[in-house]
Amino acid sequence: MSITLDQVTKHYGGAPVVNDVSLDIGDGEFFVLLGPSGSGKSTLLRAIAGLTGIDHGRISLHGRDVTHVSARKRGVGLVFQNYALFRHMTVAENIEFALRVRRMRARRRRERRAELLRLVALEGMDERMPGQLSGGQQQRVAVARALAHKPEVLLLDEPFGALDAKIREELRRTIRQVQRELGITTVLVTHDQEEAFAMADRIGIMNLGRLLEVGAPHDLYTRPQTRFVATFLGAANLLLARRTADGIQAGAATLPTAERAAGEREHEVVAVVRPEEIELAPQRAQLTSGYLTQGMVDEVTFTGSLERLRVLPQSDSGGTLLADADGEARAMLHVTRSQYEQLGFAVQPGQTVAIGVRRLHVLPTPLSSFTACAADEAGAEALGRQPFLAELAARMKTRIALRVEPLWDSGAPARGADHGFVGITVLAAQPDGARHARWLLDRGATDVLLLPHEARAPQRVLIHWTQPSARAATLAAAASLLRHVAAEAVYLGIQPRRDDGAQPQGMRALLDARAEAQAAHGLDMRTELRVGDAAQELLRRLAEAPGQMLILGIGAAADCDGSLQPLLTGARWPVLLVRR
Amino acid sequence: MAASTRTFREPSVLPGFGLTFGFTTFFLSVMVLLPLAALVLVAASMHWLDFWHVVASPRALGSYRLSFGASLLAASVNAVFGFIIAWTLTRYDFPGRKMVDALIDMPFALPTAVSGIALTTVFARNGWIGRYLEPLGVHVTYTWIGVTLALTLISMPFTVRAVQPALAEVQRDLEDAAETLGAGRFTVFRRIILPTVLPALLTGFTLSFARAVGEYGSVIFIAGNLPLKTEITPLLIVIHLEEFDYRGAAALGVVMLAISFVMLLAINLLQAWGRGRLLRRRS
Repeated sequence: MSITLDQVTKHYGGAPVVNDVSLDIGDGEFFVLLGPSGSGKSTLLRAIAGLTGIDHGRISLHGRDVTHVSARKRGVGLVFQNYALFRHMTVAENIEFALRVRRMRARRRRERRAELLRLVALEGMDERMPGQLSGGQQQRVAVARALAHKPEVLLLDEPFGALDAKIREELRRTIRQVQRELGITTVLVTHDQEEAFAMADRIGIMNLGRLLEVGAPHDLYTRPQTRFVATFLGAANLLLARRTADGIQAGAATLPTAERAAGEREHEVVAVVRPEEIELAPQRAQLTSGYLTQGMVDEVTFTGSLERLRVLPQSDSGGTLLADADGEARAMLHVTRSQYEQLGFAVQPGQTVAIGVRRLHVLPTPLSSFTACAADEAGAEALGRQPFLAELAARMKTRIALRVEPLWDSGAPARGADHGFVGITVLAAQPDGARHARWLLDRGATDVLLLPHEARAPQRVLIHWTQPSARAATLAAAASLLRHVAAEAVYLGIQPRRDDGAQPQGMRALLDARAEAQAAHGLDMRTELRVGDAAQELLRRLAEAPGQMLILGIGAAADCDGSLQPLLTGARWPVLLVRR
Repeated sequence: MAASTRTFREPSVLPGFGLTFGFTTFFLSVMVLLPLAALVLVAASMHWLDFWHVVASPRALGSYRLSFGASLLAASVNAVFGFIIAWTLTRYDFPGRKMVDALIDMPFALPTAVSGIALTTVFARNGWIGRYLEPLGVHVTYTWIGVTLALTLISMPFTVRAVQPALAEVQRDLEDAAETLGAGRFTVFRRIILPTVLPALLTGFTLSFARAVGEYGSVIFIAGNLPLKTEITPLLIVIHLEEFDYRGAAALGVVMLAISFVMLLAINLLQAWGRGRLLRRRS
């Protein structure tokens, strides 16, 4: 491996800007770090270059641990967005800077300089000053300068940001060509997905300091694992669908899916439909794909080769179709159609059409939607407006439905049946959160979030499960939640106190949990091993500092009575209960 | 109407050149050139032998040496320490930074005589610092050291204020780039930072020097004003004035003017040469 990052973490003023990033980049690979501004991608690049120290983790270049090696000794070449050329030096002096610092002979320097200028197609520009060159030429000089000392790794920090479209494309080609010719491992940071697609062997997508997904461009586009990647890489419609024995049921359509996990019970899922996978027809019968619902065309924009439409779907099949529609808000389906499709069926704004889906992809996230549940409507509404919940739902691009349950104080008998609880049911922790949670779990709810009054986004999320059966589900829920919250994840392994000394099993379980989180969900979490009573240890850890949250996996509804009750009753921290 | 007689004047991008240039010429003439011309005229009314007698007297020669020597020294000291102060203020954020930044301008605001008295109090033989320097054989007051000290104090803001904006403009990326290319801190400073701020540093040096040469108020308190030893030229001029020897004062003034002009011109040429070298390499 050329570049190996192991649990790299960097904090600025308490908040993590790079959060537990582990990554291997192969020899000669062109790797693109893609993310919105503020996602921590530039900080990560600077950390690889050695210009920013890290608080935790390790960085290796070609097997050499460079975590504590200064930038000048790391042997990397760095190219900046604003070129960062030395303006008082000629092009030649700029390129030879690294060689001069290394006291290379003048003749060898000249040879190397000529070689580099040829590489970036700037022969004969030696004696120009940077100010006399165009932006594209300056960035070529910067690339040549960064390669002069034959670095093992080339790092590019938004190198095309300051250039116009045509030059950008030309420079892209040059850089890709140079990279192939030298076979140098390259990391490029950008916020432009088109640029990432055009250049990358593999793309790593960052958000809120976390590396969410890594993969080949095509795989990431067709099979994203997270909502963020689905919506950040190109446009995507997120639908709330149900996984049934026959396939994925979205609206009126039931589409078979290859990704079906056998033997799983029916539950709500989030499905991604790309705008080009949607078909429009005048009538349902004329659709060649699975009929989703009827809709009204709201807007048609012609963009040359493609037509972009916004269609307002009818929710005739009961239940909300779009994940981000919360009742009154008019969430639109985004549709793109080729010229061929436009010729076949021309549409006008205001027209009613039948909507079909050619292909959908189900996200593996277990957190599909939120339902704020209270004894009266005002309570449910207030719960839905809680800042942490509202922020979470907005980031997850999902809806918060309201549900009134006046019966839970009447002691209605538990039937253990599915009362139509889908997604995460949200409860107020005060005054009676523990009892209400038990009531919901008895009636089929599987994921319950207890929110204390005015809860804020946590800085640390503690993860624990009391039953091994809940392990996979708890890890999946934690991974899904942590993609939308800038917090560190800590798994707390708790062993009952025993008298025979060593606890080799506890340590193994800890490492297993970490490995599973990493492999199955791409979640890097820290682990802590404690000995004692689970509820007491969790309580102690939660009381240590404010700004924590607990994700607790349980096996049966009855588990949340007994010793775990103090964790839920009148809690000052949010608790997500996961029952499997 | 085939040929219109009306002409349209091309409106300039920035109108009002005539007015502003006229004002500039007028203002400079009245405020600068006219008094200087008067000075030269008064001096010119002397017989050249009398003139020579005044400006080449041992006392006058001694005062030139002290005035210009101490001013050059003060400007050099400021170039080093003013740079460090400017560096600290632009590069680091520490509690009280704004206070320190405001403190820099204090020598501007203080009447120079007050600065002189304050310095004398501190550095006199029985002063706060002076009493510890005394046993070491370092006499500050009534020596050239005191003169340099006073001139350094009153001209310090010029260097700091000239260098500050230039330093703020040195992009951190440049230093980062140099570092990844293998340059150590000293190399980064010498090859990247210094060349970038050198023009501003020279300007600061020039301003400091010019200010120090003309200084009078603070020096006379700390210098002791011993003829041939600690007497600066501005003081000598005042002495002539007090004896109602206006012509002698004017003669000394003319000499100061000439020396200052030559030195400032030299520094400006040096700067222009530096810029020119850069430009020549560009073409």
